[in-house]
Amino acid sequence: MKNIEDIAKALSKIEVSTLEALKEGDLSDEYQIAERASLNIDSVRRAIAWLSEKGLVELEKMEEKQPALTEKGIKALSEGLPEEKLIEALKKLGGKANFGSLLKESGLSKIEFDAAFGKAKRNSIVVLDEEKNIVLTGIESSFFASDKTKLLLNDIKSGFKVDENSFEFADALKRGLLERKNKAILCAKINERGLKALEISKKVDVREYNLNVAVQRIFLGKKQPYARFLDEVRSKLVAMGFKEMESPLIVEEFYNFDVLFQPQNHPARDWASTFRLKSPRYGKLPAPEIVEAIKEAHENGASTGSIGWGYRWNAELAMRLMPAAHGTAHSARQMVKGVEIPQKYFAIARCYRPDKIDKTHLMEFNQLEGIIVANLSFRHLLGILKEFAEEIAGASEVRFKPDYYPFTEPSVELSARHPILGWIEFGGAGLFRPEVVRPLGIKCNVLAWGLGIDRLAMFKLGIDDMRDLFSTDLDWLRNHEIVRL
Amino acid sequence: MPTIEISKKDLEMLLGKKLGADELKDRAMPFVKADIEDMQGDLLKIEIKDTNRPDLLSVEGIVRELQGFYGIKIGLPKFKIKRSNVKVKVDPNLLNIRPRGAYAIAKNVKVTEHLLKQMIQLQEKICETFGRKRKEIAIGLFDYDKVSGNLRYYAANPKTSFIPLDFNEELSLEEILKKHPKGQEYGKLLSGFEKYPLLVDEKGEVLSMPPVINSEYSGKVTIHTRNLFVDVTGFDQKVINTALDIVCAALHDRGAKIESVTVEYKDKQIITPMLEPKKIIVSTELIENIAGLNFKRDEIKKYANMKRMYCRPKKKCFEFKYCSYRADIMHAVDIVEDILIAADYNKLRLEKAQVPSKGAELPLHNYTKTMREACIGLGIQEVLTFTLTSKERQCRNMLLSEENIVELENPLSNEYSIFRRSLMPELLSVLAKNKHREYPQKIFEVGKVALKKRSSNEEFVEEKELVSVIVSHRKADFNEIKAIFDAICCAMGYKSVVEKVEHPSFEKGLCARALIDNKGAIFGVVSKEVMKNFNLDVPVVALEMEL
Repeated sequence: MKNIEDIAKALSKIEVSTLEALKEGDLSDEYQIAERASLNIDSVRRAIAWLSEKGLVELEKMEEKQPALTEKGIKALSEGLPEEKLIEALKKLGGKANFGSLLKESGLSKIEFDAAFGKAKRNSIVVLDEEKNIVLTGIESSFFASDKTKLLLNDIKSGFKVDENSFEFADALKRGLLERKNKAILCAKINERGLKALEISKKVDVREYNLNVAVQRIFLGKKQPYARFLDEVRSKLVAMGFKEMESPLIVEEFYNFDVLFQPQNHPARDWASTFRLKSPRYGKLPAPEIVEAIKEAHENGASTGSIGWGYRWNAELAMRLMPAAHGTAHSARQMVKGVEIPQKYFAIARCYRPDKIDKTHLMEFNQLEGIIVANLSFRHLLGILKEFAEEIAGASEVRFKPDYYPFTEPSVELSARHPILGWIEFGGAGLFRPEVVRPLGIKCNVLAWGLGIDRLAMFKLGIDDMRDLFSTDLDWLRNHEIVRL
Repeated sequence: MPTIEISKKDLEMLLGKKLGADELKDRAMPFVKADIEDMQGDLLKIEIKDTNRPDLLSVEGIVRELQGFYGIKIGLPKFKIKRSNVKVKVDPNLLNIRPRGAYAIAKNVKVTEHLLKQMIQLQEKICETFGRKRKEIAIGLFDYDKVSGNLRYYAANPKTSFIPLDFNEELSLEEILKKHPKGQEYGKLLSGFEKYPLLVDEKGEVLSMPPVINSEYSGKVTIHTRNLFVDVTGFDQKVINTALDIVCAALHDRGAKIESVTVEYKDKQIITPMLEPKKIIVSTELIENIAGLNFKRDEIKKYANMKRMYCRPKKKCFEFKYCSYRADIMHAVDIVEDILIAADYNKLRLEKAQVPSKGAELPLHNYTKTMREACIGLGIQEVLTFTLTSKERQCRNMLLSEENIVELENPLSNEYSIFRRSLMPELLSVLAKNKHREYPQKIFEVGKVALKKRSSNEEFVEEKELVSVIVSHRKADFNEIKAIFDAICCAMGYKSVVEKVEHPSFEKGLCARALIDNKGAIFGVVSKEVMKNFNLDVPVVALEMEL
C-alpha cells in the first residue's frame, strides 16, 4: 500500500468532500453523504468506491426498501407511457378514432388502455365527440413535457430521492410501473487512515494532478440558439440597409386586415382562423381621414381606381384587438404612421395562429417581414427575393410561382433550393395593391414580402421538431454548440 | 383556402391533352394559382389559393384556363344562351329575408358520375367560401323534367310543408329548421323571420327552401337526369349572377344547352344568366410601371389571349374583355398580374434594387442587447418561452390577482389562453421541467409582456420589455440575487435606491425593489408556497426588471 502522504495528496475534490462529510465518524448511507457533501449520488458512489480501495473508509451494505422501476416501468420510460402510446396511435389515425380501432392501433392491453384513456381525458388531451369518437384536443405537447409520472420514473431511475407520499407515486405503484424493492444501500464509515488523510489533504496546497479524473463540469452563459439565430438575421438586414419597424404582439384588426384590403366578411377573418382578445376588446384607430379613406376603399374603391368590395364597412370591427396573425400587420402600421420614400423596412414579427401544436406547427412563430417603398417594379421584387434566398437561406437557386394574397397584386410565392434540404417554400411576396397604399397617400409602389424563417432556423440548429425552437431543456441548451448563420 | 378533388382522366378528357405529373405540378397548376396537395392514382386533391376565383372550384373552370395556357382554345370563351319563356316571380316581402334570385335551365345534359361530383363540389365550395357559408350565395340544382310552368319565389308561411331531400315524410318549414340536419346547420340564416323563402312551380310543387334544403321530389339530381334547373339566391344580384354564370359555364362546357330565365321583381325584370363579358381599360403606363419593362403590343395581346381574355390595343392603353365570373378583377392591376403570369415569372429578367438607405435596429435593442450581454457575462443561460400562457401559471401559482391580464377570447386550451405579464412564472416552470438536470441552474430571458391598463374609462394594452433572472441551487440566497442585481446595474449604468418590500411571491423580509428612471425592478427569495405551486424543492432566487 502506498504511503498515506502520497494518497492524501492525490485525493480528488469529491473524495475530500466525502471524507469531510464522514468526519464525525458515524456510519452514514450514501444519500446522507450526498446531502451533507452537496454532491450528486453518482459522485458519492464513485468517491466511496475509490476511498475504500485506498483503505480510507470501511464499507457496509444495508438492505432497505427502495422504490425501483419494474420492467413495465423501464419499458414505459424508454418506449413511452401507455397514455403517450395512445396519443401517438390517435395521431396516426388522424386525430380521431373510435375505441376499437384505437385500442388496436395502440397495441395496449384493455386495462392499460382504459387507464391511459382515463388519464388523457382527465387532462383534456382527448375528448369524446357526440359519436363516441376519441378526438385529440391538441394540447398534449406541454402536458407530456411536464408529466409528473414521467419525471418521477426518471428520478427513480437516476437514483434521486423521491416523495413517496405523492399522488403520482401511489398511482405509479398501482399501475405497476414501480415497486418497493429490497435494495442494497451502501454505507461508509471513516477509519483512522481516512481521518489522517483528510487532515493531510487540508494542509496540501498543491494537489497532484490526475488527468484521467473527471473534473466538475461548468456551464457557460449562452444565448438561446434560436434567439441567436434571430439576432443574426436582424444584423444581416441592417447590413443590407433595412430599417427595423416596431412589431407589437397585439394589434387592431384594422392593421392586420382592413388596411390590407381584406373585407370584413372574408373567410380568413373567421373565428377559427385567428385569435381575438376578450379583455381588453378594443384598441384605437388612427386619424379619422385615414379611417375614412380605408372605409371608402373597401366600400367602393374611391379614388384608388378599384371597384371595391361593395359592402358596408364597420369601424367597430376594425377596432377589435388581436394577436398579430402575420408580419404584414406591422408594415400596414408603419405605412399608416408614415414612411420615407425611398426607404427599406423590416420586422422580425411574433405571429399567432390557432393551430394545434405539433412537429410542424406552433401557436406562435416568427416571420421576417419587409417592405421597400420606392418606384421599383415586380422584377425588382423578384431580384430582392433571390438576394434574400441567397443571403439568408444560403440558397443556390430560386423559383417563383403565382400566388394569391388579398393585399398584393401581382403576388408570388418564393421557393429556394437549399444545398441540403432541397426545394423549400420560403415565403410570399408582391406589390401592395393600390387599394392598400393609395388611401394612405403613398403614391409609389411598395414591394412587400413575408418570409418563414422558422424552418430555416430548424435546419441551422439541427432540429426536426418545431417545438424545439423554444426548447427549455437545460441539457440541450447547455450542450448545444454555438451555431453561426 | 378551398381544396377540391378532381379526376386526372376527366381533366385530360376535357382539356384534350395528357399531362405528366411534373407538367401538372410545376407548370399547369401554378398557372391557375393552385397547388397539388395529394395525388393518388386518378384522384387529385388541389388547393385553390385565390379565394376570389370561384370559377376555379371545379375541373371545368380549371380546364378553361389551361386551354389558354396550352393554346388549345385562346381568347374570350364563347357561351351560347337561348332565351326561354320561363319566368320566376319574386315576392317583394322577401326584402329582408333573402330578396334576390337568379335562374337558368340546362338542357340535354349528359350527366356522368364525374359531372355530378363536380357539380355538387362546385355548389358546396362556392357556397362555403365565396358565398360565406350560404349567407351570400345558396345554389340549388333540380330535375327540370319535374318542374312545370312559371315559378314563384316567395315568403311562405312557416306551416307550409313539403318533403325535404333525404326524408320520406312531409315537414313544415319550421320543422325543417329544427329536425333536418341542413336546417340545423343553416337555420340561423333565417332566424328571427316570421316567413321563410320558398321556390315553387306553377302547380305549387316545392323546389326548395333557400338557403336550407331542396325538395325530395325535384331537388334530387342523378345520372338519369337530362334537363336541369339552376337556382341561386342571396342578397346582391351581382354576386349571385356570378355564381350562376360559373355553374352555367361549367354545364355549357360539358355540352349542355343553356337557356335563360326572366326574373320578375316588383319594379324591374332581368334576364339570367347573361354571361356577358366585362370590359376594362388598362394604361400602358401601369403595365410598364408594374412589370418594369416595355412589352410589345403583340405580346400583351398574346398573353391576354392565353388568359382567356380579349385584348385590343388603343392609344396609350389597352381594352380588355374578360369573363363575367372573374370576381377577382377589381382593378387594372389584376389584369397586369394575369399578363405577368402568362409571361411566366420565372422567365422575367431579375433586376437589382438600388435603394440607397441606411439600416438601423429599433432603439430598444440597444437595451435588450446589453442586458443580454450582461446576463451571459454572469454565466447565466438564456431561454426563450412562449408569450401565450395560463392564468394558473401567471396568477394562481404566483399568489397574484388576475386584474391586469390580457386574455384571449378564443383560446384552443387553457394552457395558452392569456398573454404573459411577467417572465418570472415562465422561468419557474422551466425550472420545474429541469429538476433532474444538474445544479446550480441559472437562467434568464429578455422578452415582451402585455398588460391590461386603464386610463379614465378606457382599457388598453401596454406592452413592455422585461428581463428576468432565476438562480436555483441548495445554497441560493438573497445575497446572491442582490449581487446579480448590483452587477447588472453596474453593467447597464443604472443608479438605483433599493428598499425592502413585501410581495406575495417572495419570502417575507427577503424581497427588495428599486426604481430606475421610472422603471421598476424587484428581486428576492421565492416563497415556499410559490415553490410548492411550481413543484420545486431546491431554493430559488429571482429578479425581474423593466428595460
